[in-house]
Amino acid sequence: MSYVGIIITFVFVENFILTKFLGLCPFIGVSKNTESAVGMGFAVTFVTSVASLATWAIQKLILQPLGLAFLQTITFILVIAALVQLLEMVIQKISPSLYKALGIYLPLITTNCAVLGIALIAVRSNYNALESFVAGFSAGLGFLLAILLMSTIRERMNTEWVPKPLRGVPIAFITGGLMALAFMAFDKALLRNLIG
Amino acid sequence: MNDVVNVGGKLALICAVAAIALGLVNAVTAPAIDKVKEQQLSAALDAVRGTAEAGEERLVEGEPIVDGYYALVQDGTSAGYILRLTGTGYAGDMEILAAYRQDGEIKAVALMNNSETPGLGKEAEKPAYMEKYIGTGAGHPVPMNKQQLTQEEADAISGASITFMGIAQALKAGSDYVKEQLGK
Amino acid sequence: MGNFTKGILKENPIFIIMLGLCPTLAVSTQVVNAIGMGVGVIFVLLGSNIFVSLLKNFIPEKVRIPSYIVIIASFVTMVDLFMQGYAPSLSKNLGVFVQLIVVNCIILGRAEAFAKKSNVKDAVLDALGMGVGFTLGLLLISLIREVLGSGTITLFAIGNFDGVIRLPGLSESPVRVMALAPGALLVIGYLKALFNWTEARRSKEATA
Repeated sequence: MSYVGIIITFVFVENFILTKFLGLCPFIGVSKNTESAVGMGFAVTFVTSVASLATWAIQKLILQPLGLAFLQTITFILVIAALVQLLEMVIQKISPSLYKALGIYLPLITTNCAVLGIALIAVRSNYNALESFVAGFSAGLGFLLAILLMSTIRERMNTEWVPKPLRGVPIAFITGGLMALAFMAFDKALLRNLIG
Repeated sequence: MNDVVNVGGKLALICAVAAIALGLVNAVTAPAIDKVKEQQLSAALDAVRGTAEAGEERLVEGEPIVDGYYALVQDGTSAGYILRLTGTGYAGDMEILAAYRQDGEIKAVALMNNSETPGLGKEAEKPAYMEKYIGTGAGHPVPMNKQQLTQEEADAISGASITFMGIAQALKAGSDYVKEQLGK
Repeated sequence: MGNFTKGILKENPIFIIMLGLCPTLAVSTQVVNAIGMGVGVIFVLLGSNIFVSLLKNFIPEKVRIPSYIVIIASFVTMVDLFMQGYAPSLSKNLGVFVQLIVVNCIILGRAEAFAKKSNVKDAVLDALGMGVGFTLGLLLISLIREVLGSGTITLFAIGNFDGVIRLPGLSESPVRVMALAPGALLVIGYLKALFNWTEARRSKEATA
């Protein structure tokens, strides 16, 4: 699959939140205002990109040659946790302003299903190093897009009347459902027409 | 310093115990997993070979979709090939086994390992799903998009067009491979 | 006993605390998958709660989260390997989502919020209650989605019975969108609203 194909696939066609429900917790929890949604989105993109590359290296250079594929889950999640810690420290050192913007979201990302999800899917799809990186980056971008759209909708909805039992989380899910419906317009047929 | 050794050591110990435990579990389950894979392959082979006998598998290197093939023999004469194909599905790779005539026409198809969505893409595992491809590849083109299907067939794959096109692409590549490399 | 029952309704992980949705909604297209996923989660939850509770004095406070993750990931891998070996069709259906039980927030959440400060007996009851509550919630979602979206109820195949109950009328022309991704989000949204509504009514009755 071409790189453009991978980008369109993971940003639109197989948007992680809206088609696979990966990263749903922050999607509902951190989408109350645009500012934090964007912060979370960028932090996730950062981590998915680096993590996909790192897990690719571990799978191809360590686990597969040694026949230790059964340790995949445990090593991937540990690598992701360590990576998030490391990123937190590095960002804090080199760019305090970026740390201020992303810092509070980073610890939440270890258990964000989207990160482990894209790492596992990249391995299962047999991507090479660069493809894995692009897939991770695109999955993060797709997350950013979805959470940004969601947060702007929710900000507007704050001024509207909503039936009491639906207020808060339920209406957020229903909004997400309608967004997912809209995203169904992106399918592989469209992809094929776009890039041949 | 002592604290670091203490904390790090304990964490390392937990990891080591976990790895050993998983190694043991793996030793128990690995034969079962291999057996399941073998059974799946032989069941799929039986499903697509019809009355012909399949020979040993020959691996194919350097082809993106075709992974290997089996020569088919019926009553002492060559009766086409079974190809092991890898298609790109909705959620990762799909393993496909397809039988072709010498001229590249599709005789039978079975979808093996895949991670398609249950109720949607997974429907392709049913034998009836593959009927739209059978008999294509030589005289008729392999249907690659919904416009080439009957209304009924197109309705049946709604929501799972990615799976459909992934299978079609793999089958087309297999047919071309038979025509260009094997069927001379 | 309260440690067991609280997970089923009062603190139902799916509807009340809204935990562990991400890696599981995707498999709620068929009832059989919900059962499989539920059993997997109960096993992992039980294992991790027991070990976290047993090791609560051994695990250093500073690295407790990585330690919990190692324990959880070990049990998840066991479930994954056993499913691949002994329940291959279920394993195929659930795909990558078996491995994603690792990041199911319920499990880490129960380790951190309950197991690390409880004895083993309470930890087991808590795990069973939360696990059963989670399974029931997932079962409800998948039942609604499969009945509306495919017009079928898929269970296990036994003998001549292929495991699929087809509902007349619905199975010929199902509301297909319910089986697709948007359906899951709509169902969970309305179910949560229903829970909120009954909860509000109950507390109103209590004060009146």
